[in-house]
This record gives sequence, structure tokens and C-alpha cells, in this order.
Amino acid sequence: MDDSEYTRAKRRRARNLKLWLAFLLAPPAAILIIFVFLPMASAVVYSLYDWNGLVRKEFIGLDNFADILFNPNKNVILFNAFGNNVKVFVTLMIVQNGIALVLALLLARNPRGFRFYQVVFFLPVILSTVIIGFQWKMFLNPIFGLVNKALHYAGLSEWALPWLGLPETALPSMLLVNSWHWFGFPTLVFLAAIHRIPKDFIEAARLDGASEWRIAREIIWPLIAPAVTIIVVLTFIGSFNWFEIPYIMNGLEGSPQGSTDMLGLLFYRTAFGSVSAGGSDFGSGSALAVLMFIFIFIFSIIATKYLTSREVEMS
Amino acid sequence: MANIELRGVSKQFGDVKVIKNVSLTVEDNEFVVFVGPSGCGKSTLLRLIAGLEDLTKGEIHIDNARIDHLAPAARGLAMVFQSYALYPHFTVAQNMGYALRVAKEDKASIDKKVRAAADILQLTDYLDRKPKALSGGQRQRVAIGRAIVRNPKVFLFDEPLSNLDAKLRVAMRIELTKLHRTLNATMVYVTHDQVEAMTMADKIVVLRDGMVEQIGAPLDLYNAPDNRFVAGFIGSPAMNFFAGKVEGFVEGGIEISLTEGAPLTFPCTGSGLSIGDAVDFGVRPEHFCIGQGADGTLKGEVYAVERLGGETYLYLSSSSQKELVVHMSGDHQVAVGDHVEIGFSIAQSHLFGPDGQSVR
Repeated sequence: MDDSEYTRAKRRRARNLKLWLAFLLAPPAAILIIFVFLPMASAVVYSLYDWNGLVRKEFIGLDNFADILFNPNKNVILFNAFGNNVKVFVTLMIVQNGIALVLALLLARNPRGFRFYQVVFFLPVILSTVIIGFQWKMFLNPIFGLVNKALHYAGLSEWALPWLGLPETALPSMLLVNSWHWFGFPTLVFLAAIHRIPKDFIEAARLDGASEWRIAREIIWPLIAPAVTIIVVLTFIGSFNWFEIPYIMNGLEGSPQGSTDMLGLLFYRTAFGSVSAGGSDFGSGSALAVLMFIFIFIFSIIATKYLTSREVEMS
Repeated sequence: MANIELRGVSKQFGDVKVIKNVSLTVEDNEFVVFVGPSGCGKSTLLRLIAGLEDLTKGEIHIDNARIDHLAPAARGLAMVFQSYALYPHFTVAQNMGYALRVAKEDKASIDKKVRAAADILQLTDYLDRKPKALSGGQRQRVAIGRAIVRNPKVFLFDEPLSNLDAKLRVAMRIELTKLHRTLNATMVYVTHDQVEAMTMADKIVVLRDGMVEQIGAPLDLYNAPDNRFVAGFIGSPAMNFFAGKVEGFVEGGIEISLTEGAPLTFPCTGSGLSIGDAVDFGVRPEHFCIGQGADGTLKGEVYAVERLGGETYLYLSSSSQKELVVHMSGDHQVAVGDHVEIGFSIAQSHLFGPDGQSVR
């Protein structure tokens, strides 16, 4: 094979490889563009216009953003919803992910019935959020709900409350439901990360005299940092996009008294209209969606960068 | 330092018996090597001593005190793992001082002990580095350093050199032997490499299928193996075996016939043997010579030659043996396809009875 033939063959191979890659990447890229990037871009465009119902009117620049951020009648609702989303994130990090970490540490010790527990813990994750929302709404019903009945039979009737009807208990109840629904997922992620840690590290620490708590804190926790990064970022995104559970359990208005209002619900009400928000306002709704996207995107990047920096290679 | 005594130690995982009634003693300041093929239970035995596995039966004593009920950290042992098990998020100094931090020693004392160990192991310049930034040999030394700072009664090593390249392995072998002398410590070392066992041990414990085959000084095992397994396992390349038969008893020995060559008279008591018994006659590769031997000669065709400069290995097939290995010092001009005569002397040969036990 002379030089030119060799070069031609090499180029042909490179071209074929590129074509093959393009063939594989084109369908998902098309789906992403049509169903993700285009709607995002159109939301940005919509947010810059005044709307009358579904009819686009004149270009108004950033007025929609200014309106939802600085109009005292509107921003109080926005900040209330934002505050609730923050509460959701913090609570889920502590309750849902905290329980998941403890369970993963226990399961990592390979207890009897390990497979059974693994399946049981993960089972709620595969159930539909709608089913879970309705099911728990019934469980928490103040009159015929399972929770209050159970309290009554346990002799704790005075503890029975209209869980979803009180501003103090509505959001915590929903967060417990959400934690029950999702804790299996972080459990599995943490468990997989713990299983990745060489057994020798743990045994060496035991020989060094470290207690189980110390091993968890000083050896396991730093070495599962990649899993923590994933869970923190996913929990953050999930918390600030939280919609289904509050919508199904207490409706679009974030009742009682806005205690379960979320940015997702506010967006829906603003964009598509509701009893409290009145008719649909695509412009303000889109502006809110864009703000939510920017906030989630920036925080996720910062969190990922920070958390990734504390990850260590295992070998 | 301390002595260790294992009394009737057994370990079972489910239905699988991994260690079967092992009893042995490791004397104070002794360097004992557990050696055997993969799956023989040597690492399990070490882990039982360390407390990383629970005994199924038996007792373990250190300095005449029973310790098998104690947690690993309470046994006063330090272990060096095959993978080194260095915590990747700690520096060398933090790794070495971790056990002392856990024991709540003050910072100055930890620092002093870590520096002293680092000095012995030439790690002083690397104390602030993370394990990732160290070579294999340096990581190995950190793992040893972590054991040293604890000032344990006994050091346990689980195949610590198997992740190193050949050159570094030899260097670390010598380092460890020196360290044993320096620390004057009781050390138990697990390896599947019989060269490591022969070169480092005061005493070797040969294991097979969870049982002790022989315990003894390296050269005792080499010169006087108790059975065919030990004879075949100790020595590299392995001993050549020839099938034979007891033909009769003569004064001071027995007469045996091999599947090739002339009958031989093997000096022994011959107790337990009968005429017609199948025996195995063994000659180490280094105990063959080219040409006529003092007591016997075999013929073979060379099918492979390995010339290492200082020594030559010949691989022969004879009329009865598929593979015979001959080791000669120096470079020998033997070519593949050559027919050669190889000789041996009875004094350097071994005989094993039908039960595999050495005939003496």
C-alpha cells in the first residue's frame, strides 16, 4: 500500500466513523431540540411579550420579569412560593436523604433479608406519583383517613388532625409523603456508592480501632461524595420543580393559606389561569419559568462544581 | 512483641470448610509465612487471627491470653493489606497516624511517632502527599508505616507484595526482612509465592485445602519435605516426579523400579511399604546433571530451552514423562530437538509412598 492509498483508506475510515456517529446522535439530538430547546427558547421569547389570553400582543422587553419580581401584589406570592420550595429542599435533604443514607449504611452490612429490604424500599419509587398522591390524600383524610383512624385505635385520638387542612401540618405531611415515595432511590444510589468502596478500607479502619460511626463519618462519607453530588443536585432540581404532590393533595392554590404553594403551582396558575390568578398570562408565566430555569441551572452548576471538588478517586 | 498460638482453629462459610482444625505456634519475634496455592485458606487464617472473620471452632491465644472473642482493634495487631488499603482522602501522615488519632493520642505524640516511622521507611518527604501521588512501592511503605506507628504485638501481612512489579518485589522483600530485624517483631506473612516464603521466613507453614501440610524452616521443607505436595510446592521450578514400584527389600533400603531407567536402591527403613506398592520418585530440576549420574541416568529429547544467562532451563520429554525440567547454572549450548542424557544421585532424591507421605 503506497502513501496516498494509505491516506485515502485512513480518511475513508474516519469519514465512515463520523457518519456512524452522526446516524446514532441525530435522533436524540432532534428530540432534544424539538421538545426541550425549542420550548425553552419560545418561553424566553414569550416572556418578552404582552399577552391577552393566548393572543400575543406587543413586545414589552423585561416588563414581565419586573412585574413578577417587583410588583408588591405579585412578588409576595412569588417569595412565599420560593420560600416553600427552599423548605422542601432542606427538608428532603435532611429527612428523605438522611433516612436513605442511614438505610444504605445498614444495608451495606449485608443483613439477613438484604434483598427483601432492597426491593421493599425501592417499591414506592416505581409507583405513579398520582396514585401516591391520591392514596395518601385518602390516608390523611381527617374523618375516614387511615392515619387518624390508626391514631384513634392507638389511643392517641388527641393527636388526630386535619393534616392537609392546617397550614402548620399540610406541607410537612406532603414532604413525608414525598420522602416515603422517593427515599428508595437515594438509598440505592448511596448503597451502590458504599459497595464501590473497597472492603479493605473499612477493615483497615476497624483494625485501626475506629467505631462504626467514625467509619461512616470519616471513611465512607468522603468516599461516597460522587453519589452525594448526584443526590443533592437531583433533590434540588426536584424540590424547585415540585408540582405533582402539592397539586394532587391540596390543589392548584397552594392551600391552606399558601402554605403549600410552590413555584411550579404559581407558574401554572399564572400561565394558564386559576381562581386566584384570574385569566391566563402567558407572558408572566413564561417569565417565571425562565427565572426558575436560570435559578435552578446556576445553583445546579455551582453545587455540582463545589461537590465535585470534594470527590476523591478511590485508588 | 508476642507469640501466637492457634488451637484447633476451624472456619466454615456455609457448608464450605475453609480452615480445618489448624493448630500451630508462632514464636516471639518469629517471621512466619503461610504459603499455599490459591484457595488453600491462608488469607482466611490470617483474617481469623486479625479478627476480621469469626472462628467456627478453636481458640487463638496471643501471649497465652485468649483473644478470639475480641474485636480486631482490641487484639493489638496491625495488618498490611494486599491492596494497601490507604484512605485516598488522607495524606500519608494522616493515613499513618489514623489509628493514633482514633485512640485520642495527642497531636505532638502522633506527629513524633509518624515521623519516626516515616524515617525508618524513607517516607519523610512524602508525608503531605495523598496516596494517589505515590508509586506502588511508596504506597506499600506507607501501609507498613501505618502498621509500625501502632507499635502492635504482631504484624500481619496479606500478600503485600503481589501488586508490585518483579524488581520492586525483590527490593521490598529485602526491606521487609531488614524491617523485621530492626523492629524485632513477630510477623505473620501470607503469600502464594514460594520464593517470598523461602527468602523471608524463619518458619514456613504450608497449607492445602485448609489444612497444614508441613511446618518448618525453609531449607528443612526444601530438603526434607514431609509429603509429595510440599515437595512439589516448595522449589521453583517444581520437583520432577517419576512413577515407580516397590520391587523388594534390601539391607538398608528398598529396591524400586521406575517406568524408565534401571532399578534403584533407595536407602530407607521401608516401614509401611509392601512389594508392589506404587511410589513416586522425585528429583529437583537443579539436582539433575547432563550426562551419566552417580546413581541413575534418564534419556530425553529437548523440546524447549530457556536461557537466562546465569542459568539454563531445559524442558525434556522422555519415554515415560511428558515434561521433565532440568536446571543448570551457566549457559549450556543445548538445542531444541537434541537427545540428552540426564543423571541424578539418590542422595538428592526423594521417595513418596502410596499415601503421598515421604519415605525415609
